[in-house]
Amino acid sequence: MAELLLRPFAAIGNLTLSGLESLGRAWRLFSSAAVSIRSTDVWTPLLLPQMAKVGVASVPIALFIATFTGIVMALQASYSLTGAIPPYFVGTLVGKTMILELGPVLTGLVLAGRVGANISAELGTMRVTEQVDALETLAYDPLAYLVVPRVLAGILMFPAVVLLAISIGIAAGWFTALQLLEMSSAEFVKGLRIYFAPWDVWFAVIKSLSFGAVVTGAGCYCGLRTEGGAEGVGRSTTRAVVTACMIILCLDAFWAAVLL
Amino acid sequence: MSIRLQEVRKSFGPKPVLKGFTLEVRDGETLAIVGPSGSGKSVLLKHVAGLLRPDAGSVLVDTYSVPDLGRKELIQLRRRIGYVFQFAALFDSMTVAENVGMGLRRMPGWDAQRIAARVAECLALVDLNGLGDRYPAQLSGGQRKRAGLARAIAPSPKFLLYDEPTTGLDPVTTTVIDRLILRMSDELGVTGLVVTHDMTSAYRVADRITLLHDGRARFTGTPAEVRAAGDEVLRGFVEGDPDLYFGSGRD
Amino acid sequence: MDRRREVLVGLVVVLGIVAGVFGSIWLKGGWQRGQTELRTAATSVGVLVPGAVVKFRGVTVGRVESIEVLPSGEAVMVEMKVLPELVIPENAAVLLAPESVFGEWQAEILDRSEFGLPPFLDYPEEGVLPGAALPDFSRLTATADQIARNLTVISERFEVAFNEETAQNLKNMIDNMGVLSEGLAEIIAQQTERFEQLAEGVDASAQELGAAARAARISFEHFDSLLLGAEAETMVADAGASLRNLREVTEVAGSSLGDLRAAAQKADSIFARMDGLLTMLETPDGSFSRLLGDPALADGAVGTLAEFRALLADIQENPRRYLSFSIF
Repeated sequence: MAELLLRPFAAIGNLTLSGLESLGRAWRLFSSAAVSIRSTDVWTPLLLPQMAKVGVASVPIALFIATFTGIVMALQASYSLTGAIPPYFVGTLVGKTMILELGPVLTGLVLAGRVGANISAELGTMRVTEQVDALETLAYDPLAYLVVPRVLAGILMFPAVVLLAISIGIAAGWFTALQLLEMSSAEFVKGLRIYFAPWDVWFAVIKSLSFGAVVTGAGCYCGLRTEGGAEGVGRSTTRAVVTACMIILCLDAFWAAVLL
Repeated sequence: MSIRLQEVRKSFGPKPVLKGFTLEVRDGETLAIVGPSGSGKSVLLKHVAGLLRPDAGSVLVDTYSVPDLGRKELIQLRRRIGYVFQFAALFDSMTVAENVGMGLRRMPGWDAQRIAARVAECLALVDLNGLGDRYPAQLSGGQRKRAGLARAIAPSPKFLLYDEPTTGLDPVTTTVIDRLILRMSDELGVTGLVVTHDMTSAYRVADRITLLHDGRARFTGTPAEVRAAGDEVLRGFVEGDPDLYFGSGRD
Repeated sequence: MDRRREVLVGLVVVLGIVAGVFGSIWLKGGWQRGQTELRTAATSVGVLVPGAVVKFRGVTVGRVESIEVLPSGEAVMVEMKVLPELVIPENAAVLLAPESVFGEWQAEILDRSEFGLPPFLDYPEEGVLPGAALPDFSRLTATADQIARNLTVISERFEVAFNEETAQNLKNMIDNMGVLSEGLAEIIAQQTERFEQLAEGVDASAQELGAAARAARISFEHFDSLLLGAEAETMVADAGASLRNLREVTEVAGSSLGDLRAAAQKADSIFARMDGLLTMLETPDGSFSRLLGDPALADGAVGTLAEFRALLADIQENPRRYLSFSIF
């Protein structure tokens, strides 16, 4: 009986402890990785390929998502805004939401699936096939060799990809407004401009920087902690994507509270 | 120039793997550690390379106390240790030549030309001439092992650690690898530590053989001594007799 | 391969930066071709912010660069950047007001003679245009409320000051109130026309409102004649009844007018206050025998009424400046 009563507490305690443990491990990994940034000779040659992999290769999917988001935003905005609200608010809504929220967050979530999973699977495979150990025995710091270039590439490339996605999303919304909603270009642009603040773009950049770090960081962390062969690689890949998505959404709320 | 392990203990979670393992590998000799799969042989090897840190005990390589080394000293030490992984652990994204050259690229004073020359030399040594442009996926198991060996010896290490070098290979390739191991110690004067469960191979390459049993060194001796030993566990393992091996282990 | 990768990475980074920077500039309203600086001073700038557009004859010609309170504290200096080829009229002034009903504030360069109402501040410095900020609707209703309070005070005094002159003033005042309520009804009717999409029946309600105002006007005229016949009490009762009627109408209007409701409620509160004052006039124990002569106070009331009427006229002329419905 007493055992039955204690069980939920034990479960909560266990969850807390394992959560704290993961947090501590992640902290150790990334603080060591921060130290490893000093080994510039190790990671600089790897940065460009990683930027291509993380950034350039992500452009098509990011633009695809943004295009449809823009279209849907425009259609739904015109559906929702009726009555006395002037139609140019479609432009305002598309612009504001693309820049502030959907551009960075949707891109972040999609790239968590694409980039985070890729990194986690790659590093996970390297871990279980002892390639990470091999790096170490060849006198390479695996953090400088594997983690630093990936995370830096994420931080550098995410904002560029997100800004492109935002532009395309707004353009798609604009096109939709012209073709399907019988709005004029002037109306849409008026709506876009009326509440635009340059700070919005900075906000998007800051958000995407942090999302880039989170997606690549989660990929690296989960990948390097892979255990147990192919199944382990699958597990850590899933974990990387889920973790990255959760942190992105939490960060999204955090930035909105802190910066707006 | 020796490797010395004193009372090394290591547990993974609640499961103890090494329970006070003591061993000395003398300068220039090749020592084989034998034992069944899962007995902690690879774990032992990783302690020597500083990939794992012991819970207790000391690991001395040359004059370095491995667990106490800082990042820089560890890198210094690792340049003197070659590690041959069980499944070669070649980097998939690089060609064989790039793999072999990996360890050299970080060494001061090595330009591309010198690295290329050394890579060719090492590939010739393991009989992989002309395969430098292949990717690991295009190699056979034996070729991969040899490439892994070439990568380990490229920086001219003083110590070579072999993790199951002949596992999964056909008898002929096994002999080829064994000969390579002998060549390393004979021609290059390398101190070798071979982890294996293949007794034939162990007899062939080792100056001395140690049986790792239940987290400790159960028996150490030359191949002749091993053959003559009366220890039941050792005989059980050598003869592949589970009754003998486990029977006495349960006592 | 490496070359290609470099080019691609560079391309994405450059495109990203271009999208961010040029997109921002474009959204902010395009490049400002070589500009001239223009300055204006006003006693207040309302809700104008740096970056707001500057308009001239309805066309965007520049942006507000900075807004600073002068060290002396007597005025606010607004700096604007406008197109260099812009020729500004001789007696130009700058009106700071909301662009639309949605309340984006802008600075409008206009010919002072065309727009006489707000008290433009003539700042004694070369090159500084006179400026003024229009009060927004909430401030207007506050003013109206203030006027009503003043009227209440007057009515209190009324009980102690009633002679022929004050009676005459009161008559004028009520006359004005008739005009005023009619004017308000008209504005609401105009607004109704502007917002065609609003609920049906708005027109009807507004017409009712107008009718009520006209009825009030007739009552006031009746009041006028009554006043001459010295039947003050009946007259006041009639005025009260018609004002109540008017209030009912605005209530009806409020319920059917949707977004116009806010405006109607504001109007309603004014009417309620007027009603209150008339009720006070009505009270039986406020005996006229106790009145003292205080024509100055009544004159003051007439003055505030005039002010209110002027504002009302302006509302009629430029309703979008005042009626900013807070949808967002």
